[in-house]
Amino acid sequence: MGKPKKSTYEASEVEKINASIALADKKNFKENYLPKQKEFVERAEIEADSLVNRAEGVAVADTMQALTTNPNKRIVESVDAQADMAVAGTDQLLQGTTQGVQAGIGDQVTGAKMVNKMASATATGLSQASKIATTDTLNRAKAKNVRLAGNIKGFTTLGTQMGKNFDQYRAAEIYNQTQENKPDGGNPIDLSTNPFDIAFGRGIKIT
Amino acid sequence: MAIMSQIEGMIKPAQQDYAGGLAPVDNPDKVFSDILREDYNDYIENFREFEKRLLGKTDDTTIVDRSRINAAKQRRIAAGIQRRNLERYGGAGLSQAQLQQQQRTAQRGGALSLANTLNNARVRQRAMNQALLQEVIGIGQGVNARALEGLGTAAQGEVQRRGAYKNAKANYASQMTGMATSILAAFAI
Repeated sequence: MGKPKKSTYEASEVEKINASIALADKKNFKENYLPKQKEFVERAEIEADSLVNRAEGVAVADTMQALTTNPNKRIVESVDAQADMAVAGTDQLLQGTTQGVQAGIGDQVTGAKMVNKMASATATGLSQASKIATTDTLNRAKAKNVRLAGNIKGFTTLGTQMGKNFDQYRAAEIYNQTQENKPDGGNPIDLSTNPFDIAFGRGIKIT
Repeated sequence: MAIMSQIEGMIKPAQQDYAGGLAPVDNPDKVFSDILREDYNDYIENFREFEKRLLGKTDDTTIVDRSRINAAKQRRIAAGIQRRNLERYGGAGLSQAQLQQQQRTAQRGGALSLANTLNNARVRQRAMNQALLQEVIGIGQGVNARALEGLGTAAQGEVQRRGAYKNAKANYASQMTGMATSILAAFAI
């Protein structure tokens, strides 16, 4: 069982090409489409006044043409002729002003919606990136804890075995004490006094 | 079948491997986060002020203001046209009294016309401002929804990390206790 290899966890060809194409698309959007969006928004604001002027101009031109082409003598003689002309013109101008303002505001609202759609896409991307980052953080922490748990288990095993080695050494010491009182000196076990030898199971010398 | 072969004939296979020539992305995670940061900066720099200006237009008075100016202009234009028409007809046979009456009517009509126009203009202006207000509120609700989504994601992440940290601490304490107990028990036997 060999060590895990980084190459086993490399991105697949389809993942690599996906990332490259996505980045190229993004660059294309930024270079070609974002300036158009900017242009739309700028134009919507700049042309708002001229839209009103144009709509008013068309309205009043149409009205005046209708009212002044071949003026009837009876109408010219009429007391209300001038007043009626002024009223008709003003009414039509109001129509024109309203239409022009409406068109200008309409364009600006469309621009704002487009811009907010783009901002929403960014926000969705940020949410996704945040989730990815949290997963990454938790994975790294988990990996670290797995390593730590392994180390603790290792130390536990070592520590437990050291305990058993000390037990055996104490048992041998007790046995040697029983051998001391024998007339022929008994058969003591050869023990090391080095604590490291005792800890690692080499405290009892086998002859 | 004939249509399919026609369509196949129209679609030209690519002569070049455009996808193969694209730059590789070494760290997609970092590139993703950099692009998002850039997008947000672009949005603020290019469009935030425009949005603020649009929001300010819910109290617009363009229609009313222009109506005031236009009413006066139209009176002057109408007076000019009438004068030229009268000249065309050599005075149209109107007496001085009739001409004066025409002027008085024109003046009264002008005042009424202005009042009427302004009233109409105010009604239309209000309708336009209300419609704009509705639109920006709709846009604003979208802004609010995405802000809440972002905060929700951040909060969720924070809770997950806090939970994972608590669990990790508890596991660590448990493992250390287990290790100490095993070792002590081994020495005590």
